[in-house]
Order: sequence, then structure tokens, then C-alpha cells
Amino acid sequence: MPTNMSGPARTHAFDNVPCPFCGLLCDDLRVETTDGAATVVANGCAKSRAMFAADAANGASAMVDGKPVDLATAIGRAAHILRAAHRPLLISAGTDVAGMRALIELAEHCDASLDHVNADTLMRNLRVLQTTGWISTTLTEVRNRADLLVVAGTDITRRFPRFFERFFGEFETLFDVGARELWFLGAVPDGLPAGLRSRTRSLAVEPDRLAELFSALRALCSGHAFSEEKIAGVPAGLLGELFGRIRVARYGVLAWVAADLAFPHADLAIQAMCEFVMKLNAQQRFSVLPLGGSDADLTAQQVTTWQTGFPVRVNFSSGAPAEDPARHGEADAMLFVCALDARRTAPSGDVPSIVLGRAGMRAEVCSVFIPVSVPGLHHAGHLYRADNVVAVHLRKLTGSALPTAAQALQRILDTIREPH
Amino acid sequence: MIRLRGGRLYDPAQRIDGEVRDLFVHDGRIVAPPAPGMPVDREYDLSGRVVMAGAIDLHTHIGGGKVNIARAMLTEDHRDNAFYRSGLTRSGSGVAAPSTFATGYRYAEMGYTSCFEPAMLPVNARQAHMEMGDTPIVDKGGYAMLGNDDFLLRLMAAGADQKLINDYVAWTLHATQCIAIKVVNPGGISAFKFNARHLDVDEPHPHYRVTPRAILATLTRAVHDLSIPHALHVHASNLGVPGNAATTLATMEAAEGLPIHLTHIQFHSYGTDGERKFSSAAASIADAIDRQANVSADVGQIMFGQTVTASGDTMAQHRNAGHAHPDKWLCMDIECDAGCGVVPFRYRDGNFVNALQWAIGLELFLRVKDPWRVFLTTDHPNGAPFTSYPHLIRLLMDKRFRDEKLAQIHPEAAAHSQLASLNREYTLYEIAAMTRTAPARSLGLADRGRLGTGAAADITVYRDDPDREKMFRTPEYVFKDGELVAQDGRIVKVVRGATHVVRPDFDRGIERRLRDYFDRYHTIRFDNFPISPDELAECGSREILVHACARPQP
Repeated sequence: MPTNMSGPARTHAFDNVPCPFCGLLCDDLRVETTDGAATVVANGCAKSRAMFAADAANGASAMVDGKPVDLATAIGRAAHILRAAHRPLLISAGTDVAGMRALIELAEHCDASLDHVNADTLMRNLRVLQTTGWISTTLTEVRNRADLLVVAGTDITRRFPRFFERFFGEFETLFDVGARELWFLGAVPDGLPAGLRSRTRSLAVEPDRLAELFSALRALCSGHAFSEEKIAGVPAGLLGELFGRIRVARYGVLAWVAADLAFPHADLAIQAMCEFVMKLNAQQRFSVLPLGGSDADLTAQQVTTWQTGFPVRVNFSSGAPAEDPARHGEADAMLFVCALDARRTAPSGDVPSIVLGRAGMRAEVCSVFIPVSVPGLHHAGHLYRADNVVAVHLRKLTGSALPTAAQALQRILDTIREPH
Repeated sequence: MIRLRGGRLYDPAQRIDGEVRDLFVHDGRIVAPPAPGMPVDREYDLSGRVVMAGAIDLHTHIGGGKVNIARAMLTEDHRDNAFYRSGLTRSGSGVAAPSTFATGYRYAEMGYTSCFEPAMLPVNARQAHMEMGDTPIVDKGGYAMLGNDDFLLRLMAAGADQKLINDYVAWTLHATQCIAIKVVNPGGISAFKFNARHLDVDEPHPHYRVTPRAILATLTRAVHDLSIPHALHVHASNLGVPGNAATTLATMEAAEGLPIHLTHIQFHSYGTDGERKFSSAAASIADAIDRQANVSADVGQIMFGQTVTASGDTMAQHRNAGHAHPDKWLCMDIECDAGCGVVPFRYRDGNFVNALQWAIGLELFLRVKDPWRVFLTTDHPNGAPFTSYPHLIRLLMDKRFRDEKLAQIHPEAAAHSQLASLNREYTLYEIAAMTRTAPARSLGLADRGRLGTGAAADITVYRDDPDREKMFRTPEYVFKDGELVAQDGRIVKVVRGATHVVRPDFDRGIERRLRDYFDRYHTIRFDNFPISPDELAECGSREILVHACARPQP
């Protein structure tokens, strides 16, 4: 419940607020709202402070062809575009479970293709899940058990500013984790806590050689010895040292962010990592931690999976869901929904486009712009966390005159269904 | 007012065994015959038809993280099994790991009206409820998993008072909106995180030093003290291990006479006789169930074909991962709460072990004398997809059909099994008991699984076909809360189901201790953990049906 702070501007303070703006979904923020404007006053990071505050422009108007219109007109125009289209493409770039539910229903009704802006990233991990699998863990386990964290090709702090503060640092843990050790395969990011920094090692490896590196580690695990001086560009001695450290870990974790592994056939690197860790588990416990959750991509993946049976990039043109990983065919209309980050812009193209965006988004170029409220700020909702397991319930902190993405999508669908 | 005229009723709750009676339905309920002159809006002539309450599946993995991992992993299952949208129904895909809409439709088309997800990790309850919210028509409920969570194991290791543990168990039911408590491989999922690969009933946990026996005793006591209707739902230790019948008997004993439900007991009824050191222990397990009135079980029958196993039992799933077909699998440690493992599997009738598993499951069905204490499950999808229930019912009701199938399995397995000597054929009354009345009673659903006045009008009408598979595959009519939802295997109306829960009383003092634990160790704040009734509605539940905490009456 909000506690009413005295003063003319009617400030409300909220504790333990979940932050929807990165995959960590930290839920310990203290946020104050004053006349619809939100300020993070405790436990924020640079990203959450900026993103909660970004919504001062609450009164953004719907637009058709760059001109302000009322919401009903914009909904009607969006419905008209989708009704006329033969191959519409619906893209999510940040909406909650309710938004995804509505988006999938709309896609199904319009025989559309469904996509997410991070689909390529999601598929790097999914291809491995669908061919090999893995042994993984989640963030509370990491916090309480992990004595060794190996981070592959990923700048974890840039993407997840509070990762080390919350999950792998010097704080009370359920189990003895000793002096935690951290290895980076690639560059060491800035901003590591000082204590951890002194127990951080790194090994310079080009990301596109990670597959080679982990194949070699797997060979070491099988008892193979190398005579080469360097493997994957890494001195064999250093690789041996890393393997030795991995071998004595009580609960080791290998983390990556698939978005950072942006090179051809990155799924092969992920596969090599997963196969190595599976092999380690014949003797010891070690887990992978594939991190994601940006732009609500894991939320999109979860809902799409349970409703259609396919995780991402689904085509409904036959009347049943079909996987469409390469996104075949030209779209003749596009709908883009992004309720979290106003700096995102819809992919440009020659086809009529409908954008459901957070107020403040650049909207001049699209055919229809419908500003929507923000989950976790203006309305309740659910998002999935970076470990793809925990769903967090977001809270409504302040009102908004704007519809939620789910409401706007539902109105478009209802209008399409009206006899015409 | 609807009149269902002249059907032959099978309602063990009222000891009605095939009597011809009319049923009247009004406002979603079965009502007394109306006064003369009262208008009847719709009449169905059910002469020659078999009428039962809507069926209840008390153990089916239909929602939650591991189910969705299975869906994402099993592209083959979805590519090969597409379901097209209609004017009424949503599209979907999959048989072993069907998408949510398809799950609801397939259950309703088969005459099932309630399904219970038996393995809800408290930390993952939101996801399970959201998936179940997208599973139409049928009612749902969940069993909260405890017994591998570090909070409970710490309490036990510190010798906490039973009263405190009871409060924690009750709080968990409230926080997760569940109806029962489940334990999976007691302590074993946690032990696996400490690199233990087995944990027998009397083996101390590598870190906490508590034994599975103590966990079972503590949780059966808690469920009993809180008067939770459903007995502690137990997935026993050593799943799938030859010789595990001894573990299963020890697990029953650990309940110390208090109610205990052993789930998918087929996977826990193995001996070590014979050259292959794998044999049926169904006779001794069935005998133990018959002798101990506090014990109930569901079978977890396997059927031949492709499926996927999805379980909280990481220890067992990792042990069995080498059998994965196709060759891919996943194990996950989850949130100091529990874990999950997903291993695709193909059961083959030409494989000795699989063939014997099939026979062991049927033996258990046929040997346990009391149909009120053995329930029909395939542990969907672990033993087989739930869509194989009609085939399973025919195996139970038709000895000749069973013998034909027995002749097709691995001959040594057939020879090792005593299945051929079991002549029992289930009656319609017994089927009605084991798929309706008994599960409703076991779960404390006072107004389901029965056809008496005041019951919810969940009603299934079958044509009386000697081919029982055909009969149970495609009921003529299925009513959910008085509305006709399926006819001749087609969905005719889509409704949303309710969520069944229990809410035992407890001392809120436990929340101080939980808050401290969450503050120190967890990555979710205590205040953000419980699921409120409003949030459950957001997840997709039509309404919450709270059942009384009271011991089921025999």
C-alpha cells in the first residue's frame, strides 16, 4: 500500500518495487511517485533510474500518418491495415505476459507471423536446447552456492548493472562458498566490486573461438593432453589452469548472455559450453546460466511456447502454429509493440506499420502510433527474469490514461472481428 | 433447466451402479427433479447411454516451468501434431507436451473436467498458474512441492517444532494458491546440488543430515495436523531403480500410519530377480497398499511410443539422461527450492525393461483390490500422454484385448510377468470410482466427482460401446458446470475453469521468520513472493474455489 507522504505535491512511496527494465527484475527498489512521475530513490541503478523517470510525457497522443488523432481512430486505422494485409508481421520488443497473450491471439486471427526483436539471440540458446540440452541453474542458487563463476564472452555488468551486488558478491550465503572466484573468458568488465576484483582472472579469447576453447576443455575432461602451445589462441598452460580450477569447484557456474555472442554460428559455441558442463557433471556439480530477459524477450518466449508449442518466430498462415525460424516471405504490414523502452524504434520498411509504444517513442514515420502504458509503472503484469525461470509480478505505481498494450491489442482484434 | 433423461448412471458416491435415472441441471448444478409444470429448457434423451460425473485427473503435468521446457525442447512433437484454429477454438500443437489450449480441449473432449498439476515449485507457482490460466474448460489445481527447499531442511536440521513446520506448510499453500502438498524424492533434489547421486530412505542428507524418512514423517504429520484433505503426495526416492520396491515399502512405513499418497507407483515397484536383475514387485506393492488403509496410489502407467519425461527429480532424471530419445536432455537446480529435469523418452514394446514396466503398471491396477485407493494416471507425459487413457481403460476392462497386447511385447518380459494370470476386468462402476469419485474424495472436492443433488454439473455421457477405448475416447456429451462443452469429440463451447485450493489456518508468526530468510538469502523479496487472489485472476483463473480443511470421509 502506498504511504501518503505529506506535502502539496502528493508523493507516494513504494517499497520492494520490481523493476521491469532489465532481465534481472530487481524487486527491492524504493520508488516515489509525484503526480504521475516516478523517481527511484533507493536500490536503483543508472538504467532503472532513467527508465522509471522517462515517463513524464504521460499525455502522448495517438497518431495516424504523423498527425494526432483520438484512440478510437487509431485503433480503427490499425484494424483496417491488418484486415487488408495478407502477410502481416507482428513483432514484440517489450511487453508483459498479458501483452503477449493478446499479441498471439491477434497474430493467430490475422494469419500473421509472430516475431521478437531479439529472436536471433533467443535462437542461439534454443537451437542448443532443441539438439543437446544443458544442466543449468538459477540466480538464488548462484547467490547461495556458487564458489566459481566463469563468464564467457559477455560484459555482464553493462547489461545487468546489479548482477554482482545481488548474486555473486561478499554477503551472507546459505552455504560456505569460500573466497568466490571469477573468471572472464574475454575482457574484464568495469565496475566489479573491489573485493571480487582481486579474485578475478581472465583469459583473452576471441568470442568466435569459444567453441574451440570449450571443445578443448571437454577433451581435457576426458583425460586428453595437448601438446600444442596455444589452443583457441590461449596458452595451453592458462587453459590447464582454468580447467584445474573448474575441476575443484564445489558448485561452479558458466554464464553467458547470448546477445553478446554475436558472431556466425554462435550456437556452436553455446553447444560446446553445454556439452562440456554436462560432461563435468559425471563427477561434480557444475551448471550453465544462460542469461537473457532484455526487452521482455524471455517473457515472449515463455508465453509463445505454452500457447503455440514453439518458442519464437511462429507463423499462423496455415491456421495452425508453425515454426518459422528464418522468417520466410515478405510482410505486407507490420505491428510493433514496445511498452518498456521509448528509445526503441520499429524497423523501418515500405509497408504500413502500426506501433504500440511507450509514450515518447519516435512515431512520425509509422502509419499508426498508439501510446501504451508501462507495465510495472502504470499497470500490474508479469515478466520473466534473466534465468528464464522466475516470473515476477509487476506493480501499478501510478495511473495512466493510456491503455495497456494488451488492452490496445484486444481493441484492435475486436474491431477486426466486427462485421464490416 | 436441463433434463438428461433415461441415462444409466454410475455414481459410486451414491452407490448407484448402472441405474436408469433422470438428471436435472440448473445454474451449473445438479438439482432435484423440478415441481410438475416447471419448464425444462432443454432435454437430452440418454436412453442406452452411460452417465458419469466429469473425470478428474489428479496427477498430470500440464503447467509450470518444466512442462514449458519440454514444449520448447520437443520441436518434433509440435511439428508433427498441429491443431488448427476454428471459429471457437484456438490453434496449438503437440501430443506429448501439448500447448495449453490443446491440453484443455483434449481433456474436455475425453470427458475430463478437472486436472491437477502435481509438482508446482512454490517459486514457480506463478508460471504454472499462468499456463493453467490458458488451459481452457477444465478446472485446475496445484500441489506445492516441499521437502527439498532449504527453508524446510534448515528448520528440520535445527530440530524445529512440528508446529512451526505446520505453519510453514500452510503458509506455502496460501502463497502458492495450491490444494495439496507434494514431495519429490524427499531431500534428494537438494542432495543432488551437493553432488549426491542417491539418497535412500534412511540415508542422511549430505549437508543437513536429515533423512528422507524424517522428511516424510514431518510432512505427513503437517498435512494431517492441518487437516488438508489430500494426503501428502509422494514421489518416492529411487525412481526407476531396480529393487526400489524396498524403498517404496519403507516410504509407506515412514508415514507412520498417517495418510500418504504414492504417485506413479509403477516406477517404484521394481525388483531385482532374474538374469537381467529387473523384475516386477507389483504383487508385494499391491499387497502393501491393500493392507494399509492409510495408503493410496496412482499408477503412472507407461504406454509404448514417444513421450517426454518432465520431473522435479533432478537426481533421477540425471541418472536416466543416457536413455534420452531423441538424445537431448536438461536438468536444472531451481532457487534453493527444488529442481527439474526433462528427458525425452520412447517406450518400446520390444525392449525388455519397457515391456515389463508396461506389465507392472497393469498388474498394479489389477492387483490392488480397492478402486478407491488406486487412481488412473500415466503421470502425463512421463509414462504416456494423457490422450492414451481410453486405451488404458480398455486394457483394464477387457481381458481378451489385454492378452492380445501382452502377446505383442518382448516375450521374456511377458514370461516374467504374471499379467496373463490376472483375470480381473474392471467394471464401469470401478472405472467411475477410480477416475471420478475417489479422486474427488481424495482431494476434498465435496461437489465434484459425483452426480448427487447439489453437485457441480460436470457430467460425461458415453455411448455404451463394447470397444471401451472407442467409448471413452469420444463421449457423446460433456457438460462443464452445466454447459455443454463437447459433443462427439468436438468442442462446442469454450468456458474457463476454476482453481481449486485449500487454505488451512496458521499462525502468521511464521512470516517473520520467512521474511528474515528471504532478506538474507533469496533474490525475490518476501512481499513479492505470495500470489494474491487478484493476481491469480490475472494469471487467468476464472474463480477460486476454496475447499474445507477436513479429513475425507470414507
